[in-house]
Amino acid sequence: MTGMFTALGAWNWLILGLALMALELLAPGVFLFWLGLAALLVGLLALLLEPGWQLQILLFGLFAAAAVPLWRRLARGGDVEVHATNPHLNRRTDALVGREFTLEKPIEGGVGAVRIDDTVWRVFGPDTPAGSRVRIVAADGAKLTVAAV
Amino acid sequence: MFYDLSGFDVFVIVLVLLVILTLFAGVKTVPQGFDWTIERFGKFTRTLPPGLNLIIPYFDRVGRKVNMMEQVIEIPEQEVITKDNATVTVDGVAFYQVFDAAKASYEVADLNQAIVVLTMTNIRSVMGSMDLDAVLSHRDEINVRLLEVVDAAVSPWGLKVNRIEIKDIAPPADLVEAMGRQMKAERVKRAEILQAEGQRQSEILRAEGAKQSQILQAEGRREAAFRDAEARERSAEAEARATQMVSEAIAKGDVAALNYFIADKYIKAFGQLAESPNQKVIMLPVEAMSMLGSLAGIGEIAKATFGESAASSAQAAARRGSVPPTTPVPPAR
Repeated sequence: MTGMFTALGAWNWLILGLALMALELLAPGVFLFWLGLAALLVGLLALLLEPGWQLQILLFGLFAAAAVPLWRRLARGGDVEVHATNPHLNRRTDALVGREFTLEKPIEGGVGAVRIDDTVWRVFGPDTPAGSRVRIVAADGAKLTVAAV
Repeated sequence: MFYDLSGFDVFVIVLVLLVILTLFAGVKTVPQGFDWTIERFGKFTRTLPPGLNLIIPYFDRVGRKVNMMEQVIEIPEQEVITKDNATVTVDGVAFYQVFDAAKASYEVADLNQAIVVLTMTNIRSVMGSMDLDAVLSHRDEINVRLLEVVDAAVSPWGLKVNRIEIKDIAPPADLVEAMGRQMKAERVKRAEILQAEGQRQSEILRAEGAKQSQILQAEGRREAAFRDAEARERSAEAEARATQMVSEAIAKGDVAALNYFIADKYIKAFGQLAESPNQKVIMLPVEAMSMLGSLAGIGEIAKATFGESAASSAQAAARRGSVPPTTPVPPAR
């Protein structure tokens, strides 16, 4: 094993890097791409500087670990935690914030009801008579907080 | 295999392997539509949103992978007894969506089971408070009431039930058959009522027609009677006038002329009686005898008029049936 490993030298890393990148395409989202990058980098260094193989492996581990903050920064891309195309996907209540509705049931004891999209949502807020307009001011999970308009 | 490797070499290899495994453990890619809960030493700390996430390996681990999409659960069939003691078989569907992955993971042990059981029991209580007819015809109302109750009940679990729909309400077969019969009877009743109405109407119309025709007939008769009476009155008037004219004429003229006419008529009448071929016996009214007697009176008249000789010849002429001319009486107009 080591014989084969040393025979190929730096090319091992380059081949490994490309293979990892290819694998990333087959199984996306498993971080293989970054390992592949690290392997390619080590390969390049090995070609240029020819360090010992232990150092090469260490470098590989180092690069792989260093890839994480780099990738996080990329993923953020200036706070791209949510994807701008549809920020409210699976976050339905967030989309409701700021919209106005008519109270179907009066808010009594802090709980009332509003009809939205053919279903009834329980809303929380100050006591208000039925039929008055309310604005949704906050959404926490399925809990909508309203204020009278 | 590792005969030519020093301790350091092995250490390096293992270390790098560990680093790589750690990286794999620390990088979590959460697919859209799911939220993963993270537990640090078994205690929930945070929720991973969809996308690439980092967790700290060794301390953190993924707890639950919660589906944040709206989901449908079948509410299995169950038998429900309505207010009027009919047993119906009911099934349905519920749509719900998790909004708080942590609550849905840890506040309730078996979410689907909990929602199903909750919905089933509430179907029982809602339908149990309604009559069968109401149950069959007020599904919307049932759905709304169910949604209200169940939605309020599940809110501690961080989810929202968006709709509950009753799919199938199946009364027992004999009830369905009875309903069919009821409907048929209802329709038959309506048809018969309509028929009776029609008959009533037509008979009323017929009676009306008969009444009208009788009234018209009576009016016709009345009119005719009036006119008959008028005619009789008119003819009586005419008669009276004629008589008056005759009597006036008599008053102006002589009685002898009148007597002559009467006698002439009598004799003509006798002539007719005698001529009838099968007449052997002639019945004469009593007055005829006196009339014969009055012939003497005629003789007297003749005498008075023409003198004795003329009277005798007149009598002879009377016997022969010819009458001498006299002054004519003007006709009655």
